Amino acid sequence: MNLKKILIAADASENAKRAAAYVGEIIGPRKDFEIEILYVLRYPDRDLFPDADAWENKKDEERKKAQEVLSGLSTVLEEKGIPVSAISTVSKEAKGFSIAQAILEYQQQNGFGTIVVGRRGVSKAEEFLFGSVSNKIVHYARDCAVWVIE
Amino acid sequence: MSHEVKELVKRLRPSLSLGEYGKIFTDTTSYMNISYGDVIEIDNQHYLVLRDEAERSFGIEDPKYWVKRCIHLETGERRILKLVFHEKFMLKLGSLEIPCYRSPEKEARILDLVRDDLRFMQGFSRFDKKGNIVRIIQVIKGKRLDHHVFELEVPHRDYFHEHLPAILEKFLDSCLAIRYLHDHQEIHGDIRRDHLWIEHGSGRYRWIDFDYTYEFEENPFGLDIFGLGSLLIFLVGKQIYTLSNLASQGFSPDTAAAFNQGDFSLLYKNRIVNLRKLFPYIPEKLNLVLMHFSNRAEIFYESVDEFLAELEPCIKEIKKS
Repeated sequence: MNLKKILIAADASENAKRAAAYVGEIIGPRKDFEIEILYVLRYPDRDLFPDADAWENKKDEERKKAQEVLSGLSTVLEEKGIPVSAISTVSKEAKGFSIAQAILEYQQQNGFGTIVVGRRGVSKAEEFLFGSVSNKIVHYARDCAVWVIE
Repeated sequence: MSHEVKELVKRLRPSLSLGEYGKIFTDTTSYMNISYGDVIEIDNQHYLVLRDEAERSFGIEDPKYWVKRCIHLETGERRILKLVFHEKFMLKLGSLEIPCYRSPEKEARILDLVRDDLRFMQGFSRFDKKGNIVRIIQVIKGKRLDHHVFELEVPHRDYFHEHLPAILEKFLDSCLAIRYLHDHQEIHGDIRRDHLWIEHGSGRYRWIDFDYTYEFEENPFGLDIFGLGSLLIFLVGKQIYTLSNLASQGFSPDTAAAFNQGDFSLLYKNRIVNLRKLFPYIPEKLNLVLMHFSNRAEIFYESVDEFLAELEPCIKEIKKS
């Protein structure tokens, strides 16, 4: 694994912005780093919608949101002086329930040595009921460093 | 139209006496207009509506206008017809509120998945003439498990040693039923005490009502697992204990004073989870399983398997003791 290949796990939260800003601050204009921003799309379940049209509209909205987030986080990195050529973005659809698992699979397949993830800070009850992407990444990540930004 | 219903009832159920004869509905969209004496016709079968179902809590009846108690005229058997009603509301779970969705499609899909699996209520779905999915559900003749347990007139110690092992054996099977749903990427969604019934005659435990669903989260099964844990806490205690009901159950003020924040439920702040402080004969191992659902917990069960791996040996231990 190449520690200088950095994967930023993105979502629409302020924590993701903080994670990107942190990476930008640490790496700055250095040229020997590669930074990819990954947005894992997990569409809301069809069961939540009364009809297929409403569901498709929501999925379109989610795809647009992903593109906006990726573009916004790229800008954050650029503003911190990271060369545009070192930044790439990608959105992927989660195959199962777990966003953390999708992030880890992508990290393994593409040889990222560092994962950066924001943490929203959930209560114990919320963690039990809903789980936590950042905690799961910390727990299951192998052969890489994990930066958790709060 | 009344005459037509009268003829239909006479032809199919000659012994039935009915005060009012209503209309025949082949389109269930306006479920509020379907009431006593009406007949819902689906797939050439006829269901005579007796009343709307109601949910009772704290002595208040909350009518569910989209759920009809019926008689299937062709067989004379009772059926529950659940009509299409999409709803989003905030579900309050102790201190948390989460958006919850009622999904007829989800319940219909699970009814197909669990066909002939008697750990669940049974039924099937059909479309009415307007394309609304209608769930046609068999009525379970039985009693809520929690009522059965609460009404056993034995002291807790006797209940714990003589009744609980058999109850937990069956509860284990109910947990495996939930695992079956999870294995098929489904959730029950509303595991609570009044949704597990004991069937008269067979004594089988059966889950009912699985039309709730949620926005997916990182751990989609957490809610179901927490529901199983809360049910287990009830079964082990034979009831729910809170600081305010300890005195009425014969516990001393010293016992009440021994509880701290970590001894209560992670979600329901007044519910005692550390039951060993009340009943010292509860084995440490079983109490530790309960404590996974307490404020003190640092590690949570992520799957039914993890939960059962720790619960199953406890049942053997209680049996031996």
